[in-house]
Amino acid sequence: MKMINKIFDRRVAGLLLFSLVLLSSCTKHYKDINTDKNKISTIGPAELAFLFSKAQSVATINQGNYQVAQNLFADQYAQYFACVATYFGSDRLNIVQGWVSAAFNPVYTDVVPQLKTLFSNYEPTTAEYAIAQIVWVLAFHKVTDYWGPIPYFKAGLPAPSVPYDPQDKIYDDFFKKLDSAITTLKGMAPGSTAYGSYDLIYGGKVDNWIKFAATLRLRLAMRISKVDPARAKTEGEAAVAAGVMTASPADDALIKRSTAGGDGNGLSIMSDWNEFRMSASMASVLNGYQDPRLPIYFLPTYEGGTDYKGLRNGLTVAQLGDPKNSAAMNSHVGSRWASANVVAKNGTILGVPTSLSTPQNVMCTAEAYFLRAEGALLGWNMGGTAKDMYNAGITNSLAQWGITDATTVNNYINSTNTPVPPGDFLNSPAMTNIPVVFGATPAIQLEQIATQKWLALFPDGEEAWADYRRSHVLKLYPVVKSDNPDLPDPNTQWIRRINFLTTEIQNNGDEVTKATQLLGGPDKITTPLWWDKN
Amino acid sequence: MTHQKLLLFVSMLLCCSIAFSQERTITGKVTDEANKGPIEGATVRVKGRNTSVATNTQGLFSIKAPAGNVTLVISFVGYGTKEVSAGASTEELSISLGTDTKQLGEVVVTALGIQRQEKTLVYATQTVKPAELTGVRDPNNVLNSLQGKVANAVITQGSGGPGSGARIVLRGNRSIQQSNNALIVVDGVPINNSTYSMSGNDFGSVQGSDGASSINPDDIESVTVLRGASAAALYGSQAGNGVIVITTKKGTKDKVSVNVNSGAVMENAFALPKFQNSYGQGANGVLDVTKGGSWGAKMTGQSYTNYLGKQASYSAQPNNVKDLFRTGTSLNNSISVSGGSEKATTYVSYTNNYVQGIIPKNDMMRHTVTLRQTNQVGKRFSTDAKITYLVEDIKNRPRTGEENAPVSDIYQIGRNIPTSDAKQYQVFNSFNVAGAAPWPSTNGGIYQNPYWMLYNTSQNQNRNRVIGFVSAKFQITDWLSVTGRANLDRTFDQINTQYQQGTLLWAPNAGGYYKEDRIVTTQKWYDVIFSGTNKISENLKVNYHVGAIYQDNQWSRNENTADGLNVTNKFSLNLATTPAFNSTGNEIQTQAVFGQANIGYKDALFLDASLRNDWDSRLPSPYSYKYYSVGASAVLSDLFVLPSAISFLKLSASYAEVGNGGQFGLLYPTYSYGQGAGNGFLFRDVVLPFPNVKPEIVRNLEIGAEARFMNDRLGFTLTYYKSNSINQLLSLDLPVGTGYASQYINAGNIRNQGVELVLNATPVKGRDVQWDIALNLALNRNKILKLSDLVKTAFLTGDGKPGYLRSIRPIAIEGGSYGDLQSNYWMKDDKGNYLLNDDGTPLTTYQTSGLPKVIGNFNPKETIGLTNSVRYKRFNARVLIDGRIGGTLVSGTEMNLAFSGVTEATSKYREGGWTLSGVNTSGAPVSKAIDAQAFWTKASGQRYGNAEFFAYNATSFRVREVSIGYDLPLHVNFIRTARLSAVARNLFWLYRGKSILDIPGLGKRTMWMDPDMSLGNGNYQGTEYFALPSTRSYGLNLQLTF
Repeated sequence: MKMINKIFDRRVAGLLLFSLVLLSSCTKHYKDINTDKNKISTIGPAELAFLFSKAQSVATINQGNYQVAQNLFADQYAQYFACVATYFGSDRLNIVQGWVSAAFNPVYTDVVPQLKTLFSNYEPTTAEYAIAQIVWVLAFHKVTDYWGPIPYFKAGLPAPSVPYDPQDKIYDDFFKKLDSAITTLKGMAPGSTAYGSYDLIYGGKVDNWIKFAATLRLRLAMRISKVDPARAKTEGEAAVAAGVMTASPADDALIKRSTAGGDGNGLSIMSDWNEFRMSASMASVLNGYQDPRLPIYFLPTYEGGTDYKGLRNGLTVAQLGDPKNSAAMNSHVGSRWASANVVAKNGTILGVPTSLSTPQNVMCTAEAYFLRAEGALLGWNMGGTAKDMYNAGITNSLAQWGITDATTVNNYINSTNTPVPPGDFLNSPAMTNIPVVFGATPAIQLEQIATQKWLALFPDGEEAWADYRRSHVLKLYPVVKSDNPDLPDPNTQWIRRINFLTTEIQNNGDEVTKATQLLGGPDKITTPLWWDKN
Repeated sequence: MTHQKLLLFVSMLLCCSIAFSQERTITGKVTDEANKGPIEGATVRVKGRNTSVATNTQGLFSIKAPAGNVTLVISFVGYGTKEVSAGASTEELSISLGTDTKQLGEVVVTALGIQRQEKTLVYATQTVKPAELTGVRDPNNVLNSLQGKVANAVITQGSGGPGSGARIVLRGNRSIQQSNNALIVVDGVPINNSTYSMSGNDFGSVQGSDGASSINPDDIESVTVLRGASAAALYGSQAGNGVIVITTKKGTKDKVSVNVNSGAVMENAFALPKFQNSYGQGANGVLDVTKGGSWGAKMTGQSYTNYLGKQASYSAQPNNVKDLFRTGTSLNNSISVSGGSEKATTYVSYTNNYVQGIIPKNDMMRHTVTLRQTNQVGKRFSTDAKITYLVEDIKNRPRTGEENAPVSDIYQIGRNIPTSDAKQYQVFNSFNVAGAAPWPSTNGGIYQNPYWMLYNTSQNQNRNRVIGFVSAKFQITDWLSVTGRANLDRTFDQINTQYQQGTLLWAPNAGGYYKEDRIVTTQKWYDVIFSGTNKISENLKVNYHVGAIYQDNQWSRNENTADGLNVTNKFSLNLATTPAFNSTGNEIQTQAVFGQANIGYKDALFLDASLRNDWDSRLPSPYSYKYYSVGASAVLSDLFVLPSAISFLKLSASYAEVGNGGQFGLLYPTYSYGQGAGNGFLFRDVVLPFPNVKPEIVRNLEIGAEARFMNDRLGFTLTYYKSNSINQLLSLDLPVGTGYASQYINAGNIRNQGVELVLNATPVKGRDVQWDIALNLALNRNKILKLSDLVKTAFLTGDGKPGYLRSIRPIAIEGGSYGDLQSNYWMKDDKGNYLLNDDGTPLTTYQTSGLPKVIGNFNPKETIGLTNSVRYKRFNARVLIDGRIGGTLVSGTEMNLAFSGVTEATSKYREGGWTLSGVNTSGAPVSKAIDAQAFWTKASGQRYGNAEFFAYNATSFRVREVSIGYDLPLHVNFIRTARLSAVARNLFWLYRGKSILDIPGLGKRTMWMDPDMSLGNGNYQGTEYFALPSTRSYGLNLQLTF
């Protein structure tokens, strides 16, 4: 005891107490210390518009996701491009899960949180709220058209698992949201704006957003035209009545991209990697039609001259080893997207130094006309005949790319040229035999509409692939070789969806099991989606 | 005072002064009993007196002692304490210390720099002698030199060349998301050992330096490894992974001595991939010079037009990979001056390291200056202060990993392309701007001519670091002292990156790419510790420490990027077409009070306990948590009379908990800004905030026995331990549908248990000859007992995300072990037959997008290190053999190269005729013959997929270190000792494991790569994907003492 007294004599005890007091008084700054000074922790009115920009940028597939979300899958399945790289298997229908997740994850982590914050900060009667709804539909229709059932109604709510929703319910919600957004926006004074310069597509112009929403609604209406013809007609006619896009380029939707912050045009950043080239399908049709868009969409081969070549989709690794299938012998994407590093054999620089800031195509006026043309064939009230709409679609598509010379346009519309054999490694025949000039039978007309829409949608492979699956009248070449055991015969089968992500099976497994029930078939790439009745 | 008394007093004074004047100086030399080398820093004390001196670098000391017979007490960390009587004569004493000296009084440095008698400890420690670190050096990082010397340490080298970070894991991995690296403590205070660039996937990175890589081995006096949590409880949060306690040199109370050490080491690439030399560029067996892959025709010297358009002979170029690497030379020169008196000592050292990496232009120059000053101010007050300043310049640190890095690029070279052609890597345009010369790449998009990467890109790092402390000790009473210490560790890193226009992947915009990256790391540490020792009764002693610690760590990084330059290849931020900057940073503060006590009974039974309370800024209010340790030990050989063959026997047991605070900024939601079109973006971060985060706890149980026999000729320590990491802060994937990519939870229970054996023996001992054996053997078993109710798999990637799964995906899965490796694999049917496609190639999960399976685990099951030291007269030799048993390592490199047809295994079956026996999915046998290209294309998953084909059993043994030294006989006065040694590292393999798949028609292949090499020092381990090759080094070392 004496010893303990000795230890804790006054000097020692005093010092200890002093240290303890010093310590406990110091923790009052801990909250500050633990706050990241380089981030923002509260979102107020000044910050909201920045969130909108982010949602828009990601919803339209930004640079970081473009190759793995779109180019290696939809762009190849729409046969805009074929893969010349031997190390990618997606052109042979090999679904690399780690890549394709880029079409799924960013929508939930980078679009949904921002849009939900906007929904909770703006009144539903505001233009900001309505436009956020349109972007929501834009983002999610791309996801559901890849997979079918997806997490939708419970998206953005923290929980251990998130249920998948059936595609018909999701489409129903799309139509409701677009209808509500159009109604809200139509209530605004003419010339109103929302988000201003933070809107990277229309600079905030409400009138443009009404046209965009109506065109998107028409697109989705046509998507369900086989599975629910009555609803499709109602939605389609309502969309046209609301006022779809009519004048290119004023109405066309292109999103700004920038050289800063890794926010470049996704197709441009890929142009340096030389992993994809023009498909044989594109070569057959564009060469055959002597299409004025050909020199815009693609570059001549590096050999120089005016030779545009493409290769078939799904060539084996051994076939890709043939010089004829190399990057150098096939057409690269057009100079709008190609960077200044793309140089012809004779030294001519084929690309442009500003390629990364090339605006990215989101939706075009031509599509609205082709949808109306097809709607007219289906007996919908589209405000014009199929032929007028078809010709207007072509005119607007050419106008979109700067081709406005009346003679050129008229010659093209009335052209009887047909696709030609692409002169590829496999000596493929012409992709199809239809001319440009509008045909006499509904069957030919349907194929012409599908073919011209396919040409007009370039380079939006996501919409082109969805439209191909929906109508299945576009006569793309079969994939040469399928490496996917679920699709052994590419001559009779084609890829209809992406299988559920393995990360989802691992993290959200029970819900994926239920989602397979909702899908109505096995979780394979051959199982058609709800709206796919082919 | 009477006259007589006065006379007596005066005569007494006289006697005293005579006695004082008769005080003599004893000189002597302390040497290592085993190798006869001098022991520097040993403490020499006259028994019965308080003052002591330390030996200098040559082991020499001189101490004042009273006349007549006295006893000197000599002790040194890691060695025993020896008592030597010194007679009246002034003859120089020769004293040898050895580990076999009776170790009763051996002192080890434990937590917070507290020195304790080894026998009072209730847990195992292991000491590494500095000579073992400086003898055979690893030029890249001093931690790499611990390989094979510490039981149960798994050291993985970073592969970024000189100065790259190392991963040292003691007793298995405990933490899923946080670091598993042992805490590095220098002079009682943890140093900042963070690495700014850790690879979290196999895309690769430029690996950063860790803090340990800038420790100067020449300044090290001792290294003690505290493997368990018991030992570490006093360090709190950071010590759950064990601690490496480094004590640095201070001045000796002796006349001035000068020590010079010079070494030169040459390094060569070791364990390069095995290439085939039969087939050159082309595809499908046809020569094609535009192709990067080597699937072409057989090379028979036929004449052809090469890719540069010149006529050449189509013949094998077996050295075209090796030619890229150079012989690295490292020079190490250090000088230290040490001296002092009873009042003050000074130690000054300067070291210069110049390391040339094996990649051309990759050099490191480091200058380290240390000044240490101790002062005894009066009887009760002493101070100790030290400052170390280092400047380190690393030039042209190479990228590693797959994406356009010199190693990946050169390995891909066509087997027929001579080095002279490859070196024509650029052409100049009319503005004299370099463009890429033609190069047949296997991946035109992202692989480039390696010489372009070497000469037209660079990443240079400049590091300035200052570490210093000031401490003061006040002896309050003779049994109680207080020590206060203030420590600062600040590192300034500046990393400048240049990529010339035309560099694939890294210079996407016109003009080129330039980045300036500044990282400042600051650690402030203050502590006050009261230390006391009391004798309660004759047999009961108590020794205790009570204190408080304040620690503040700040980290900030500013990245300024010019992605695109207005004037081509002029690298300045002023020329940026689109300037971009990014600032990140964090701050973590912990405050703690602790107490620790050790009660000894009869100096043979010890009870030890500690208690600590932390306040951690990363936790929610009130920020507080506490943890404790208890333990006991018994020196049976002191308590009982044991058979005479047993000279020492001790048993100990301890239990300890260590807490870990969590993670910065996890409590609240945050939004980040990103540049982009328009006004840029704001977006919510994808990690769900975790407002109720709790501290992680590691519970550690340890039982040990230590015994020595036959006059200490044989001794061992045997330790069993078990640790459970609970409340793990886990980042788990959330279903992304929630809007969050991941969330943190406190959950899990990871168990590591194992046994460690450290054995020392001296089979031969004589005056001229001695043979010592040191063996360490350890096994560790890890089990993930529980993760969470929600999620059963956690990913060991940098961001906790599953990643692309190109080679493997390291995971922690409930019921499995930490570091299980998921991979795509060759599918089998229920009967165990391999599944084949109808074209005869393997059917893999890569092809079917099936779920990957676990094919192995990256951790060794057992590790072993064996050192043999032999001394014969003036010669001494040491050989270290070490090995790892078990574990799986995947070569992503080989996966990638097999697809290009350049590896040795791809040369078989080029003409076809390869029949894999297997069945198709309907069970029918497939007997279609394939060729090598078809097989390897599928097996490699077109280079992106089936790691199972390239997975190896990582069991391996090698001769790690050899040194042969000779003490030069000297005939000059001013040089006191001189030793010349020849040293070598990574000499050769004794055994290497085989591939795990027995591929029909091919069999198993022997592992070609070095399992020590990794992509970095984070938890992403298990795949070697274009890591730099490890090196074999050999050199000479000269040590002089003046």
